[in-house]
Amino acid sequence: MAICVAIIGKDNSPKYFACSNPDDEINLQYKVLSSLDVIEEKLNTANKVTDFRELFLGTLYSLESHKIYGYVTNTKIKFIIVVDSTNTALRDNEIRSMFRKIHSIYADNICNPFHIPGEPITSKSFHDKATSIMFGTV
Amino acid sequence: MRSSVSYILSSSTTEPNMSHPDYEQYSHDHAALLILIRHIGSQLKPKTYNKFYDRISKLSTVKITDSSGQVRNIYVRYVKEYPVENNDWGDFQTHRRLLGLISIGKYDSQLELNEICRVHESLKVKYTSTLYDSRCILLKPNEVQSPGETSADESNKSSPDSDVIKDDDSSPYDSSSGDNLKSSSSTDDRSSVEKSAEDARKEKVEKLLEKLREEKTPDSKFTTPSNFKSRALFYAETEACDDLEQQLTEYVNSLFWVLESKRLEKSREKLERVSLLLAPFEKKDFVGLDMESRNNKKRCTGRVTKHLGDLCLQAGLLPESLTYYSNAAEILKSVNDWLWLGAAYEGLCAASALILYPNIQRTLPLHRNASLQEGSPKRTSISTTTNPDLTNPKKDVLNILTPEDIPKRYREAIIHYSKYQNAGIIETEASFKAARISVDQNYSLQAASFLQNVVFINITLSEQEKTQRFEMLSDLYTQIGFARKAAFCHRLAASRYVSAQNPTPNWSQCYNLMLQSFPGHKLSLDPTEMCTSPHQMGWPSLQIHLLTELVVAAKRMGHSALATRHQTFMLQTMWDHLTPTDQKELAIQLQSLSAQCEGAPVPLVLDNGVVIPPANLSNIPVCSGFTLKNLQPHLQPRKIQMAKQDIGPFLFTPINFGSLERKSNKPQSKMDFLWVENDLCEVTLKLVNPLPFELKVSNMRLLTAGVVFESIPETVILPSETPTSLTLNGTPKESGELELLGYSTHTLGVKSNCRLRFMKNFLPHYSIEVIPSLPVMEVKTSLPQSATFSTFQNFENVVTSASISLYNGESTECIITLTNTSQVAIEMLEVSIQSILEPNLQEQIFSWDAEEIQKQLPIVPNSSATINVRLYSAANFLASGFSGPELSSGVFGSSHAGSISLSMSAGPSSLPSRLNSPISHQSTMGGSFHSRRNDLNSSFRSSNSGQSSMTTQGCRSPGVLALPQHAASSVVEGQLQFRYSGGTGLLAGYCRSCSVFITLEMMPSLQVTNWDVLPAETSSQFYLVLDIANLTSQEMELHYTSSKHMLIEGHESCRIPVPVDRCPLSKLTKLYMENGIDERLDLDKICSDHIANLVDLRWQLSAIDTNGKATLKGITLTPNMLDIVRMSPLNWDVSINGDAVKPQEALSCEAGDCLEVSVKIGNSLEKALRHLSMSVQFYQDHQNGVCNYRLENRLATTGLSRVLVPTLEPQTSAEHNCNVLFFTPGQYKMDIQVAAPECVSATASISGHVWRFIPPVEINVSL
Amino acid sequence: MADETVFDFLHSELVNYVIEQSELKNKDAKDEDLSNLEYLGFSTGYRMIERLTKEMPRFKDELDTMKFICTDFWTAIYRKQIDNLRTNHQGVYVLQDNGFRFLNNISNGKQYLELAPRYVTFTCGVVRGGLANLGINSLVTAEVQSMPSCKFHIQVQRS
Repeated sequence: MAICVAIIGKDNSPKYFACSNPDDEINLQYKVLSSLDVIEEKLNTANKVTDFRELFLGTLYSLESHKIYGYVTNTKIKFIIVVDSTNTALRDNEIRSMFRKIHSIYADNICNPFHIPGEPITSKSFHDKATSIMFGTV
Repeated sequence: MRSSVSYILSSSTTEPNMSHPDYEQYSHDHAALLILIRHIGSQLKPKTYNKFYDRISKLSTVKITDSSGQVRNIYVRYVKEYPVENNDWGDFQTHRRLLGLISIGKYDSQLELNEICRVHESLKVKYTSTLYDSRCILLKPNEVQSPGETSADESNKSSPDSDVIKDDDSSPYDSSSGDNLKSSSSTDDRSSVEKSAEDARKEKVEKLLEKLREEKTPDSKFTTPSNFKSRALFYAETEACDDLEQQLTEYVNSLFWVLESKRLEKSREKLERVSLLLAPFEKKDFVGLDMESRNNKKRCTGRVTKHLGDLCLQAGLLPESLTYYSNAAEILKSVNDWLWLGAAYEGLCAASALILYPNIQRTLPLHRNASLQEGSPKRTSISTTTNPDLTNPKKDVLNILTPEDIPKRYREAIIHYSKYQNAGIIETEASFKAARISVDQNYSLQAASFLQNVVFINITLSEQEKTQRFEMLSDLYTQIGFARKAAFCHRLAASRYVSAQNPTPNWSQCYNLMLQSFPGHKLSLDPTEMCTSPHQMGWPSLQIHLLTELVVAAKRMGHSALATRHQTFMLQTMWDHLTPTDQKELAIQLQSLSAQCEGAPVPLVLDNGVVIPPANLSNIPVCSGFTLKNLQPHLQPRKIQMAKQDIGPFLFTPINFGSLERKSNKPQSKMDFLWVENDLCEVTLKLVNPLPFELKVSNMRLLTAGVVFESIPETVILPSETPTSLTLNGTPKESGELELLGYSTHTLGVKSNCRLRFMKNFLPHYSIEVIPSLPVMEVKTSLPQSATFSTFQNFENVVTSASISLYNGESTECIITLTNTSQVAIEMLEVSIQSILEPNLQEQIFSWDAEEIQKQLPIVPNSSATINVRLYSAANFLASGFSGPELSSGVFGSSHAGSISLSMSAGPSSLPSRLNSPISHQSTMGGSFHSRRNDLNSSFRSSNSGQSSMTTQGCRSPGVLALPQHAASSVVEGQLQFRYSGGTGLLAGYCRSCSVFITLEMMPSLQVTNWDVLPAETSSQFYLVLDIANLTSQEMELHYTSSKHMLIEGHESCRIPVPVDRCPLSKLTKLYMENGIDERLDLDKICSDHIANLVDLRWQLSAIDTNGKATLKGITLTPNMLDIVRMSPLNWDVSINGDAVKPQEALSCEAGDCLEVSVKIGNSLEKALRHLSMSVQFYQDHQNGVCNYRLENRLATTGLSRVLVPTLEPQTSAEHNCNVLFFTPGQYKMDIQVAAPECVSATASISGHVWRFIPPVEINVSL
Repeated sequence: MADETVFDFLHSELVNYVIEQSELKNKDAKDEDLSNLEYLGFSTGYRMIERLTKEMPRFKDELDTMKFICTDFWTAIYRKQIDNLRTNHQGVYVLQDNGFRFLNNISNGKQYLELAPRYVTFTCGVVRGGLANLGINSLVTAEVQSMPSCKFHIQVQRS
């Protein structure tokens, strides 16, 4: 399971943030925020290097405690998953599929008429789905 | 990138390993000669020392021509201190050896000099293992002046301040560095010309240095102690020390040559029998190992080769070093000597980098506050700056790495290092170097990954070093534009400074680093920026967290002002992102913080020069409305020119209300009303306290610009969440344009200037015109205030009111007192009345003496003037035709237009008596006579009515008289308008206008219900018969002539005859002269005026002793009345049997007598009357309204009963005679009339008019 | 296919509804106000693109994106691809659909030509919205010369 899922908007402002341990939220937010630099850098290089065209960006960076993965949609929405570095069960493929799931629920949420694009995501059902993805229960 | 097989080979025992990482290292430093510059002694000021250090470190490369004439580029690196342990790694990487030592010291006495020398020597001992040569810069006392230092003198003169080096680092340095180049080149020349062996060269250098020393030392009266073996450079502190660079160059030269010699002998050694070079911690790994084994031999050679590579690199032989390194790499790889393989790779990278990017410069130690700006933009990669034609030739250098390979090799090196626990420092440093290279190559991601790696290397470091590491990381992250990452590291570093483990927590450091992490989190210290930025992309939750930490840091730092400031900032900027509870708590915290140090809206400057802009609490309380108030209407200044409109009731509305409306829909910053200097002006605010508890806001003032404005502080206590409106007052002290920028508050212990500019949905400012000061006037009246105000137009500038009730015709005086309550004299005062009455009536009711007022001007401050206003209850005492029409309509409905118009006009004189008369002839006579009859009966009416009404007088019931609409009292309202001004305001053309509201209740006193006229005994007079009704409840005493008076009970009425002189022809003549259009009315008017003037009815209510006079103004008269009222144009002369007939007297005769009637008419007009027909007619009046004209059988007349007078010239007369003979006795009447023909006459005035001899002659015929 | 007809009906109702509304709002306006319709399209496109690009690899560049619009995007909505894409490489793209779905059912010929704008506005919005969400701010106009073919001009706003 992952310990944190974050969705960051085009303007790098947080749109959704969920983590397994609420006490840890602030620290995780700091980490996630600082990982945005890498994402942006990767996106810049992505334009030059053609083989960089997958939405999944792989590991952004890893700390002694956490590994941080990134995924950026074509619409420049950034998904970030933080996993515990000790957790070796999660290989890139698992992460990738988690991102896929998140992307699809995100797309659904965008099509939800009550969601205004660009606003933080408050939908309860979205939250439930997202957390269950995070906990790997789906 | 850590190797999976960690810590193989590495022994866990704690070896003396390099414990002092040097994060500053660049890969280029591999090629540099390491020189320590030490500060010695307490005399030398650190500043001076730093100046020296900076100046020295400018000399980072020296070109030296070697024996083979090849120019070597020697790099030098200066450090301020160098842990001796690090020297131990000198074998591993030679650039870690400390080769040189320059100590700087200042002395005033021999003692100090000795001390300095001693320390210097001891230092030499400390580093003896590696030290090649040393210098000691000695700053001698200033007063000592030597001939050799004239330059210094000049520079002294040039700059009065004592220390040149301290002051102007730029100019002398540039020049000196210029010298430096020259000097170095000169040395080159010198060296190049004479191609001798190096030792010869050494001597040369020695000599040179000797020489230099010679010229330095002798002048000094102090001498270095004998045991002082080093080269000393003597300078005066004030000196420009021009030759410093030269000296340094020489010094570097000497170092180089030593190094070069070392290199040569190393290279001459037979690789087979060299001893194994060891990294410090390896010592015991190889104890007892068979050095002769093939493997170890290779290891030795490999390591030595690598070592040689290092030396070559330092000696400026890049290609050679490259070959050595690559060979070494080969060998070492074969023997799995990872550590040294790594070193070899690193060497390769360093050398290649040096070739590819020769001009990478160590970024000068950046100042903390400088890094506060947004993360410094990425460096333009060196590779791009070095133009290809430079790089291409370098390509062909043997086994040089391509730019892409450099990071790869570094990566490998790092991986190899990572296998050794004790090589942690080396690994860390390598990572930093690699990162720096990638930064310059602009491979941000690579740099990032290298930096990332640093975090993993776990080495036992002091907190200090850990923090340094993070700071270095953040600096590098900033360089590659990873602002957020940099911020992240800054925060970590900050937390390190105060972490629990840290023995010496340093909050101010922590605080500074926190601040530096702000840009990364999109936090700006200026609240206005935060608010104004349309969508701040920062993460509120983090920002809040960060700010909270910052506040804590500031507090622990003991800088409570800062704490308050930041807390305020947080409340102000993060408000929307805070939960209500947080809002509450933060607010309370702020209160407690500000208790220690009150927040003020001034920028705070930190020691490191960072400026913390003020933070204003503009959303506690929230201001939802800011409205400038116009002055009180009676104080509003008005333009004197627009006086006319000023009193017009409708002018003010657009100004007063219009402005408000306009603000509501289309906001405009310029007010369209005026404020007055020295007058209290108001601005109303709508405030809401968003906090759940009661909020006290004190010292609220207006922030203004422009003219001087004295604002009065207000204090308000705002309940939670309920909009409160507050009025801020102030007085402008000058005239001119005033700008209102906002307001200041003091709440939660924080002073704030809330500027509208920075607040949502407000205009940046409001501006208003202030005009010079005007006087203020207080108005009092002698009369009681009126209870009610009517909705009379523009009553808003009414200051007081007066009310009184008067009986019609009564009059009184109202004394109005004007007091000047201002400091400005009232020099101009205009009084005017306005009401809805028509002007002439208005001035009847209200009147005053204008001159009297002007006499009292000017009204100096605190003095007063009085105005007497006379109030007269002017009413129409005449019952307007209320009964006429409805009574007679039934009658005239059937009769002819002519008669209707007649009786209409005669409305008022509708006495019951005359009612029957018309009916009668309607019945009795045929239409043929009509016109005549009409005239007839109308003619009678006048007289008849008179008598008949007389008779019926007694039987008139008051009930009939009680006329509701007239009994009701009417109310007249007027405004007495004062427009006054004075002082500068008057010059500016402004005035004020206030008004007194006067309510005048007019109670009915008496009324003339009916009136009629009767001929008097004398033809010069007539009787005006009035039915007077006393409408009051008191007994009224009525004086209607000088002599006559009568009492009328309350609500009673009576009839009085008032003798009035007839309206003389003189008043009328013009009527007859030219024919006006409606002379009929003129006639009316003249006559009624005539009456009004002559008749004065004075009444008196003795009970409540009031008196007044009634006027008959506007009394209307019927034509027939007119005939009586005015003098007839014809004067009659009627005689019977020769003797003239007197009016009102009956003459008698006997039946059968023949009476001779002679009628003479004289024209008393100034013009001729034409076609007059005179007729004499007899009839009998039955006293019941019925007249009998059919008298054929009762009398006979001889002579014409009707004659025509063609013309009657003025002042001439015509006579007509006839005889009459009565057959039967009885009472007869003779009616004599002269008729002017219809429309024959030129003047319409008398056309169709009939004059009668009134009264008709009565003849009693008896037997 | 039922679902498609449903879409057609929905669209035509949408058009009618918006026209009605705008007429109710301002009768005196001579040319009908289609901005609402365009906006409806915009938000539709903006949301829809999220779904459509889910499986897509990252777009190389603008042109790549445009190709996507012409093919997958168009097919997703109109069951057909754009017939012709032209560009001047300065940010102007012309997408030509020879049988534009919403015009197909209108009798070709000049008869209803002046009504054509109603039936292309929504699509303009959709395209603009899609591009906007993909980070390309553009100005999309349509041009109908002869039913049922339609040209969409995309003008990228370089900021």
